[in-house]
Amino acid sequence: MVSGKRTRTARVFAVAAALAIAGTALAGCAPADGRETVRFTFSKREAIDFMTKVVNDYNASQDEVRVEIDTSGVDIVSASFVRGNPPDLMLANYNFEVARFVQRCALTDLADTDAAGRIRTDLKPLLDQYGICPGKTTVLPYSVMAASVIYNKEIFAKYGIEVPKTWDELIAACDTLKAAGVAPFYGTFKDNWTIGQGWYDYAVGGEVPVVDFFTKMNEEGTNVGPNSQTSFSKDFAKPVEQMTQLIKDYTQPNAASQAYVDGNLAFAQGKGAMYLQGPWAFGEIAKTSPDLQLGSFPLPMTNDPKDLKVRVNMDLAAMIPTGSHHQKAARDFLAYLYQPQVIDAYNASQLGFAPTTDAAMPTDPRIEGMIPYYTDGAVYQGASVLVPKTIPVFNYVQAIALGGDVKSTLSTMDADWARAAFLAPKLPSDTKGSAK
Amino acid sequence: MSTQTLLTTEALTTPGRKPRIRMERVNWSGTIILILCTATVLIPLYLTIAMAFKTSKQSVDGNAFSFPAPFSLDGFVQAWDLTKFPVGAGVSLLVTAGTVFLTVVLAAFASYAIVRNWDHKLFRYSFFYLLAAMFIPFPVVALPQIQLTGLTHLDNPFGVILLATMFQLSFSVLLFTAFLRSIPLELEESARIDGASTWQTFWRIIFPLLGPMSATVGIFAFLYAWNDFMMPSLIISDPALQTLPVRQNLFQNQFSSNYNVAFASYLMAMAPAIVAYLFTQRWVMEGVTQGAVKG
Amino acid sequence: MSTTTTIVTAGDRTVRRSSKRVEPIYYLFLLPTLVLFTLAITVPAVMGIFFSFTDSIGIGTWSFNGFTNYIAAFSDPAILQSYLFTFGFSIVTVIVVNVLAFLLAVGLVSRIRFKTGLRAIFVIPMVISGIIIAYVFNFLFSNSIPALGTATGIPWLSTSILANPDLAWVGIVIVTAWQAIPGTLLIYIAGLLSIPGDVYEAADIDGANKAQQLTRITVPLVAGYFVINVVLGFKGFLNAYDIIKGLTDGGPGTSTRSVAMTIIAGFNGGDYAYQIANATIFFIVAILISLLQLSVTRGRNAL
Repeated sequence: MVSGKRTRTARVFAVAAALAIAGTALAGCAPADGRETVRFTFSKREAIDFMTKVVNDYNASQDEVRVEIDTSGVDIVSASFVRGNPPDLMLANYNFEVARFVQRCALTDLADTDAAGRIRTDLKPLLDQYGICPGKTTVLPYSVMAASVIYNKEIFAKYGIEVPKTWDELIAACDTLKAAGVAPFYGTFKDNWTIGQGWYDYAVGGEVPVVDFFTKMNEEGTNVGPNSQTSFSKDFAKPVEQMTQLIKDYTQPNAASQAYVDGNLAFAQGKGAMYLQGPWAFGEIAKTSPDLQLGSFPLPMTNDPKDLKVRVNMDLAAMIPTGSHHQKAARDFLAYLYQPQVIDAYNASQLGFAPTTDAAMPTDPRIEGMIPYYTDGAVYQGASVLVPKTIPVFNYVQAIALGGDVKSTLSTMDADWARAAFLAPKLPSDTKGSAK
Repeated sequence: MSTQTLLTTEALTTPGRKPRIRMERVNWSGTIILILCTATVLIPLYLTIAMAFKTSKQSVDGNAFSFPAPFSLDGFVQAWDLTKFPVGAGVSLLVTAGTVFLTVVLAAFASYAIVRNWDHKLFRYSFFYLLAAMFIPFPVVALPQIQLTGLTHLDNPFGVILLATMFQLSFSVLLFTAFLRSIPLELEESARIDGASTWQTFWRIIFPLLGPMSATVGIFAFLYAWNDFMMPSLIISDPALQTLPVRQNLFQNQFSSNYNVAFASYLMAMAPAIVAYLFTQRWVMEGVTQGAVKG
Repeated sequence: MSTTTTIVTAGDRTVRRSSKRVEPIYYLFLLPTLVLFTLAITVPAVMGIFFSFTDSIGIGTWSFNGFTNYIAAFSDPAILQSYLFTFGFSIVTVIVVNVLAFLLAVGLVSRIRFKTGLRAIFVIPMVISGIIIAYVFNFLFSNSIPALGTATGIPWLSTSILANPDLAWVGIVIVTAWQAIPGTLLIYIAGLLSIPGDVYEAADIDGANKAQQLTRITVPLVAGYFVINVVLGFKGFLNAYDIIKGLTDGGPGTSTRSVAMTIIAGFNGGDYAYQIANATIFFIVAILISLLQLSVTRGRNAL
């Protein structure tokens, strides 16, 4: 037993040492071609193939810089900021998590790039709502996604239903579908983000002026509560109640156990007439039914067609951290990405809108219904993403969707907002934008 | 404990008593109940295995329990490529082997020192100090650890080995000290009388006796280090040097509807862990039995 | 446990371990580990706790804000709810795991056939990582079992337990127990095997039946192992994260949100310092509970 233990220990040690040597050799396997390496983070899963091809094309087109695409995701990028070795260029979904880097001024000023000069100015509020680094343009939009109700054109045609433009027309359409035995809406309540992004955002955005609301909420800060002028309980009560009506009366019964992937599959199989998802779902649905005729229209919440708006979000925005050691090379690649042929091709492939002034409009019939609203600026950002992550909005709306009490959930959100305002640091960016 | 030894030796010397082979009834009711209970383990396992061998199309048809038809290795091939399995497994193996080795060695030495000097404050307090750290929630130390490993150039698998060992230390010391207390002092005393130094006593006598507990500590350390996702994802800064669970997670986020590929990659990751366990379980079980009989 | 032993050998030398002097080599055995440990764990812990008195998010500028985070944490109903859920869940799971693991251990050391095979099978859940387990059981609970329920016409089986805000925790207990039983089982087996067979034979001779043997002999003799399992198990369940995240993500609603989930959500959610304050409170509470458990079982533990 003694010698057995010894040799076993020795063997383990030898293996470990060998692997250690192998590991360091692997680590040293950097390309020895003398190129400057630029670390480019990109984690939008549906577009990884596309972006990888863009990177390969860029690397092949010149030999000073070699871009390496890193698809690790936001958490790991955040860790790299903390560690002090952030990526050289980020193309990320713009939300509160990423906005923290902006607020703490950890990103470089891109105002002097060519790309910055070509960005539509009416998109600026979409970014500024999350907070700014005063005096600098640290974020450049790359892709805007518009989202609204996806509907099955074949089912609508079969029952003679027109695209509804008012709340009453919507209810009438739902009644027709229900009577015909078709689920008007297909719900996927197991994945709480689908409730937030679809149901809640569309309901609220269709009735409440979102930017104004959050500006007022920021001003009220710690006073938000049952007695404040603006609050979730006051302003969101009506749209959320309407949302629960749609859920109770017009959604398929097993919604609570359906996840996003289940919903894509079922909708592709014609098990629902309308689906409250964004354009990213089109690709998934097409995997099952590539020939299904689909279209989009904004969810009407009032009886005034002028209130119709589509939900937009900054699906991708470009940033270069101050901690990057390859800023010039990163800017070069940034310019490449913003070339019309690249940015337009990307947005066409993902059914998004390019934010540049010279952008080509998307032509896909599935999102045709949203184009007029987008061009007219009848857009809003989702109420669920404009709230800091400390308030678990997705969990709350899931509770409501599954039958929870609307009033008490909204009051809880008010209390959370007040608490977040209480804890908020006093940052220089607090002149405008969020209080976090 | 010494009375126990006496009993057993008595049992061995009593004529007509065969301690091992006994002509007694097999507990069939127990066996059957246990076999039925294995269903709770085998059903999920079947699901994982069946899904891994399906084609992409069949994996999303909603019938998870159906038998793979056609039987396909597509999932494995894709998973192998997408997670760069050889590299990932190599790094995981390096990290795991390093952690196991370092944990067993450091914990054994420390535990021996603690147990043999229990009446000295430093050693006694060290024990409680190490144990208390078991309760520190990982998020408290995570960001500072990211900063420190970045500063000391340990933001790579070696840093992970160090941190993983330290995280496992409390539990390992707990196990070793418990086991060491049951080893009688007489063995060491007689070695010392023969002139052995403490080092020699430890290495020649104690460490071999710790065999079964080393195997137990080792297997817990192995499973922890092999399956750990959160710490390596935050500590290793170069994605090319990431461990297997992190690669699988990245890839799961990216291809959530290709179940067959996901499950194939999980199976491939599970295999070494199962092999390691099966290899050491003989040691753990039999060694513990031996240890118990020896007293 | 720490008595100085006196041994009389064949000659007339007595060797007594002095409790005054410590051989220097013992320092060599202990101190390097202690130093590494302090650098790798204690120093980051102190740094982390320091941050709980600031408004830092780990990046960029930050400033002190004293006890603000702690004050807010004590009045936060979400934090209170997560503690209540986590404690309730831990208590139930500890009981379930220890009862089942003990019974399984008794079965697996008794005279059954296929001993090695059965033991190997029951340890498999421990070998699989939490993410996979959550994924597989998520599928089972959400799809397979409801399908089974609809097919056989059993109504309460036809909806996913995870979609029910009042019962989702049951699903989580089941899956957590599934993964935790093997480790606990191994420790109980070690405990059971350390009981000499002669004790049982003596009991047989005295006429005790199996049930009496189990309750009067086995249970008291594995008490020390029981304490280890309960203390370690409880601590493990208090920190439950992987499985809950994979099964319900704190849902439906916020009904299954554990303390670890709220803390980790604070990482990238912008309230890092606040959640570290939460984590510090949690750390203290966890230690207090373990000390309580140990003092209640004093005299029986193996420490």
